[in-house]
Amino acid sequence: MSKDSQMRAAINQKLIEMGERERLKEVLRAKLVECGWKDQLKAHCKDVIREKGLEHVTVEDLVTEVTPKGRALVPDSVKKELLQRIRAFLAQHATL
Amino acid sequence: TSIVPFPNGNHFWTDSSPAGCSHVNGYKVDNWKQNLRVIYQCFVWSGTAETRRRKAKSCICHMCGAHLNRLHSCLYCVFFGCFTKKHIHEHAKNKRHNLAIDLLYGGIYCFVCQDYIYDKDMEQIAKEEQRKAWKLQGIGEKYTTWEPTKRELELLRHNPKRRKITTNCTIGLRGLINLGNTCFMNCIVQALTHTPLLRDFFLSDRHKCEMQSNSCLVCEMSQLFQEFYSGHRSPHIPFRLLHLVWTHARHLAGYEQQDAHEFLIAALDVLHRHCKGDTINDNGKKANNPNHCNCIIDQIFTGGLQSDVTCQVCHGVSTTIDPFWDISLDLPGSSTPFWPLSPGGDGSTVNGESHLSGSTTLTDCLRRFTRPEHLGSSAKIKCGGCHSYQESTKQLTMKKLPIVACFHLKRFEHSAKLRRKITTYVSFPLELDMTPFMLLYPYFECCNASTLESGHYTSFIRQHKDQWFKCDDAIITKASIKDVLDSEGYLLFYHKQFLEYE
Repeated sequence: MSKDSQMRAAINQKLIEMGERERLKEVLRAKLVECGWKDQLKAHCKDVIREKGLEHVTVEDLVTEVTPKGRALVPDSVKKELLQRIRAFLAQHATL
Repeated sequence: TSIVPFPNGNHFWTDSSPAGCSHVNGYKVDNWKQNLRVIYQCFVWSGTAETRRRKAKSCICHMCGAHLNRLHSCLYCVFFGCFTKKHIHEHAKNKRHNLAIDLLYGGIYCFVCQDYIYDKDMEQIAKEEQRKAWKLQGIGEKYTTWEPTKRELELLRHNPKRRKITTNCTIGLRGLINLGNTCFMNCIVQALTHTPLLRDFFLSDRHKCEMQSNSCLVCEMSQLFQEFYSGHRSPHIPFRLLHLVWTHARHLAGYEQQDAHEFLIAALDVLHRHCKGDTINDNGKKANNPNHCNCIIDQIFTGGLQSDVTCQVCHGVSTTIDPFWDISLDLPGSSTPFWPLSPGGDGSTVNGESHLSGSTTLTDCLRRFTRPEHLGSSAKIKCGGCHSYQESTKQLTMKKLPIVACFHLKRFEHSAKLRRKITTYVSFPLELDMTPFMLLYPYFECCNASTLESGHYTSFIRQHKDQWFKCDDAIITKASIKDVLDSEGYLLFYHKQFLEYE
């Protein structure tokens, strides 16, 4: 594993251990609903389903089609805030 | 199964559940429920420090070591594999273990069906374990759509006074008797009783009164909602409401015609003050700080207005954010010059507003409100950076828009000699896109429009999705969308679309 992914894994472990990951997930989810991201993606999912046909579409289809758009649509302000929170968390528990 | 219709148009099937599959039968043997609970507690929703430590260390793919890639755990044995890289699929095939669980969201995947399945019993366990873990971590309740319980359905079936909401029913509509120039109050009452979130708060009995006397305005509002949704078609006489308003907002007392906007702000203020019993902060304790109030009024109506003052010399910016309940917008035709807009200028059709050639739109007014304004040489501010008085520009932005945004068109101009009404027509849209003005949350829907003509206030309110009614004191008539959009708006209420309720 590269140094980078080692660092990622270590940070992830710390976040899980302290319960922060679950809290951050919920903060993110609430923000994404508030800014309309969830509804935009929901509409996009419906389009994909319509396109592929309800009987033929698979979870994989949806994940493949929706992930890039989902990532692109996250507002910068939300990314910034999450990043700040993670930074603050690491600063507090900086024994990595 | 039975169908129970509800006002938001959803129907609830009471006995059936989302699809499970027959392939779980092989799993549902012996002590499977306890085994499943352990998996949830250890690897999905870990509530205790010990389970979290274990989860942090052990939840990596047994084939490639990654912790991302939609990790799944096999339900039959201790194996973690990436879903994205199909490592869990390989395991499922090799060992003929056909079920796995998504460690991020707890969903159960069946490799035979090649889909996530929703077995009733497993869903129940998942829900309980998540609630347990979140409670331990102090995260709070997960949002789920409301469904009636068996007991609630029973009560509904046996109560002869139950009301069935269909798309054509007029429940919630009631006229208001004019008690002597009180149309200003009537149109605000109509606006408030037709604000969906406020209605839901009161109809679900959420107000717990802490006032000793009988003068709680929130209790009176609660009573008002009961009157409006009682099914009575005769107009209501709001004399108690009027009396309470006179008691708590002395400047509005008397039988003269008052300004509806002033009444709205006064009413919100009194309601906010009387909501003390309902104010709960994040820790479940009663909040004592009036600046961090979480009452229903603040939750629905309070926004944040940011003011940035930029020094023209050092370009330092001084920022303040103030709470607001309404945005007052200047209109063209007033003595302060309106922002000159080129005809059909950029964004003039942003909201699909009807443009009788050259007519001003609500978006134009908002654009003017948020444009940078040069404060002239007679209005220099003390710059903290330059340590001297400098010229500056000021710009307002709506930092946080409330759930219900009230736009007040400043139709009244007071000069030394007279009070003038600006009758410039301002077109407003049914759907308001706020993206030109702020980063988050674009869509708002018009839910009320109050207008003042010839000294008389009337309001248009929205019922169900696309039906409008005109409220003229005691008289309620059906209105067309065109009637609404052609009216000379004075107070416009916009409601955020798509919400989760807390």
